[in-house]
Amino acid sequence: MTDAAASRGPGSIFKILHSLEFRMFCLALALAVILSFSSPVFLTERNIFNILDQSVVVGIVAVGMTFVILIGGIDLSVGAVFGLTGIILAQLLQTMPISAAIPIAVLSGAAIGLFSGVLIALIGLAPFVVTLGVMAIGRSLSFIFSGQRSISGLPPELENIVYSSLLGIPANVLFLIVLYLSAWGYLTYTKGGRTIYAVGSNREAARAAGLSVATYSVLPYVVSSALASVAVTFSLAQVMSADPMAGSGLELDAIAAVVIGGASLYGGRGSIIGTLMGVLIMVMIRNGLNLMGVSPFWQGTAIGSIIIIALLAERLITWRSTRT
Amino acid sequence: MNTLKSQTRTEPLLTARGVSKAFGKTQALTDAALTLRPGEVVGLLGANGAGKSTLSRIISGHIQPSGGDITLNGAPLVLTSTRNALQQGIALVAQETSLAPDLTVLENIFLPDLATPGRLSFKAMRSKASTLLSGLGHEHVLPLDAEVRLLSAAQRQLVEIAKALALDARLVIFDEPTASLSATEVSRLFDIMARLRDGGRALAFVSHRLEEVFAITDRVTILREGQSVVEDVETSSLTQGDVIQHMVGRDIGAIYSARSASRPKTNEVVFEVRHLKSAPWVRDVSFAVHKGEILGLGGLVGAGRSEAAEAIWGLRPHQDGEILVRGRPVTFRKPADAVRAGLGFVAEDRRAQNIVPDMSVRENLLLAHLGLHRGFGRGYGKCTTRIAELIKDLGLPADRLDSSLLNFSGGMQQKIIIARWLLTDPEVLILDEPTKGVDIGTRSSIYRILQGAADAGMAVIVISSDFEELLGLAERIVVVSDGYTIADLPAARLTEEKLTLLAAPRTSTARNQALLKAFAQEFEADAFWTLLDRDDLICLAQAGRTLAGLAPGEALRFDETRIPIALAARRNEFVKESDDTHQTMLVQMTDKRGHDLGWIGVTLAGNASAPSPDEIEARVQALLRAGEEDK
Repeated sequence: MTDAAASRGPGSIFKILHSLEFRMFCLALALAVILSFSSPVFLTERNIFNILDQSVVVGIVAVGMTFVILIGGIDLSVGAVFGLTGIILAQLLQTMPISAAIPIAVLSGAAIGLFSGVLIALIGLAPFVVTLGVMAIGRSLSFIFSGQRSISGLPPELENIVYSSLLGIPANVLFLIVLYLSAWGYLTYTKGGRTIYAVGSNREAARAAGLSVATYSVLPYVVSSALASVAVTFSLAQVMSADPMAGSGLELDAIAAVVIGGASLYGGRGSIIGTLMGVLIMVMIRNGLNLMGVSPFWQGTAIGSIIIIALLAERLITWRSTRT
Repeated sequence: MNTLKSQTRTEPLLTARGVSKAFGKTQALTDAALTLRPGEVVGLLGANGAGKSTLSRIISGHIQPSGGDITLNGAPLVLTSTRNALQQGIALVAQETSLAPDLTVLENIFLPDLATPGRLSFKAMRSKASTLLSGLGHEHVLPLDAEVRLLSAAQRQLVEIAKALALDARLVIFDEPTASLSATEVSRLFDIMARLRDGGRALAFVSHRLEEVFAITDRVTILREGQSVVEDVETSSLTQGDVIQHMVGRDIGAIYSARSASRPKTNEVVFEVRHLKSAPWVRDVSFAVHKGEILGLGGLVGAGRSEAAEAIWGLRPHQDGEILVRGRPVTFRKPADAVRAGLGFVAEDRRAQNIVPDMSVRENLLLAHLGLHRGFGRGYGKCTTRIAELIKDLGLPADRLDSSLLNFSGGMQQKIIIARWLLTDPEVLILDEPTKGVDIGTRSSIYRILQGAADAGMAVIVISSDFEELLGLAERIVVVSDGYTIADLPAARLTEEKLTLLAAPRTSTARNQALLKAFAQEFEADAFWTLLDRDDLICLAQAGRTLAGLAPGEALRFDETRIPIALAARRNEFVKESDDTHQTMLVQMTDKRGHDLGWIGVTLAGNASAPSPDEIEARVQALLRAGEEDK
């Protein structure tokens, strides 16, 4: 390709219109319009809050998954970490105040992430395999720690995490918004965030340029597991009991959201805004199908098709624009 | 266009006229023409992005043209796939080889046959492969059962060529075949190409190394911006200057800009490496570089130069040795340590080690800054003015900072990678093959950038296998061979021939060393191997007592040695010095092409009884003949 050809670069408005996030936004919008025509309930205030509420758990986990996928990794253990730290939190709450139990549960989640991250980034084991192993261990431990049953009898004040609100916005939705804003700011405007992109895009080059590749290869796994524990905290507050099977399949929802949001599983490409769109698209489809009375058994087919169509569309678009 | 003597030559095998190719909005070729005849080598030249590779890939069926006429033996040629092209006898020996790394040499040579139904006869394949390789004169250098991933670049290329011949290709396109070969390997490749040409095949040679083009091609076609600006012209009717001018479209003047007269001349050593060892490639490498100096690190591919640089940079472990920055010993366990110590490093492989493909030009420029920067934020803001300056200095397009780096030509990418390090103002900048795959116009601007950096006091270390480049750019050259630094000489004392001899791998000089040892022992003498100029010399190897005062890797004027009279006389009998202290005889070595391979010298004490000069001469000549049979 000649330099002259590349100089016909897009202007900034053009660029925003062409950006992945914008395309995903349009997709989410189109989906909302279609669903509001198919169901009169869809656009009511109550349902919108419903959608946001349903987005919280997968939304929080998807932020961590975005970090992991950006460095070219994958974290299959988030669902199991979600279940395990839920049990840990519920057990701690039997004897401890909320303000001590939650940090300990989140730290134990972070420690699991550190374990996976070290094995993957410093020892060089495959992320798929390590997190698959951690997933099996985590699920097994959550059965052991719980005595194979749900744990209830949680302190009633725990509900405040979800049911208090500010300016009419529920606390969990507010947390989600703040989390996405800070994750976006971190990935875009800090040394660490840019390092994560550089490591995912070309690890060798990042290393040769003096970036701290090791640190920022471990960090995403820590963030991912810690956020899984944060997510389970909100989930516990809502259902007021901890189930050892909680969060099974959550890793797949989170990966799906990140991929629908346009991230490349090879790393280096993707964004937190895209992930947010991915989460909303998935939750809206589920919600809409429920409203229309579609059997939950068909919902997997719908979500799966959307993932594949999103990937196909992305491949077509990048193929057209980067063909040389 | 030159059409002299065209009536006496054979009919073209392939003609391409008005070929165009668009990729999306990019017009890679607009009006390309090419003529290939049996028994001829045609050079296909052009700067980066001129369309050489696109045209080669069209002719070999990898991609389809958007327009134009291509004929083979006078009949229109339409190729839909590479398989199609192979059936027509057209093969491409590409830069990046298309071999299956886990299969053996034999399986790779017959790879296209694997697609045919039915059983394969390995016995028949084996004998056909031996015939092919012996036809190339290389039957014993390629083990047929070795897996291809274990082979050297040169051996892989040989497999590619054999693969083309297995299909009885009439037309072979070599796309930058010499890019990763050493000088000896290049000359072997040229021998093979000459054999193929003499066998009546039509060859195209894509390159931008001008010396090679003049060495091997009969005719040239030059592309510029997708058009053939010179088509089917005899190579001998052009000068290197003409070719460069056609390639870049203007007279670029001297390629190597001179160092500025105002450059401070200091003896301040800013960076030094002592006895660096990083198994298995780097055995004992030492050098020092001064402030404001450009130091060349020369040697063949595989001599351990890149590996030494990577060991310094903390990219590979080293077992021994010291690294000193401004006299202070330092340890770099990871590149970040080296960056913090004020070093910069442009690694050899642009795509794998330098470019971050998903980041914009701006962020690629800022990558080393990001490595150096301490703090939570990015610190991009404070670099804005410096970036603006650099962009102006280096001729980078200011309005395209936010587009993808991949949209730029290789030369422009390389400039951006160099600018990445200039942005951090390092005291020492190490560049590994900074002009590999870069067209001549950009090369000259890279040289200017480096001279400018040295003028500003930066110590620049350039690693290169291009000896012409080293001689043009560096003030001093350290030669590395087989993992050892073997010479440290001012560039002014060297020529390409001398560098080639100095850089030769030790295995090929082992015989000479053994002879020197034998002479030294048998005659209790000082035996040495040296290159002689009018009144100075470069010693390549030495054995025995140091009577003559020569040490390997040293450049001396004759009057700095203890045997000036003998050196000036160059007699193949013993010549005494004026004070009778020493007597010396010299035997010249030349190869079958008449190239000077240096002189073997034997120095005895003045009063010793001299052995027979004829015997010494005979043993040196026997050594030369033995060396030639090996080739």
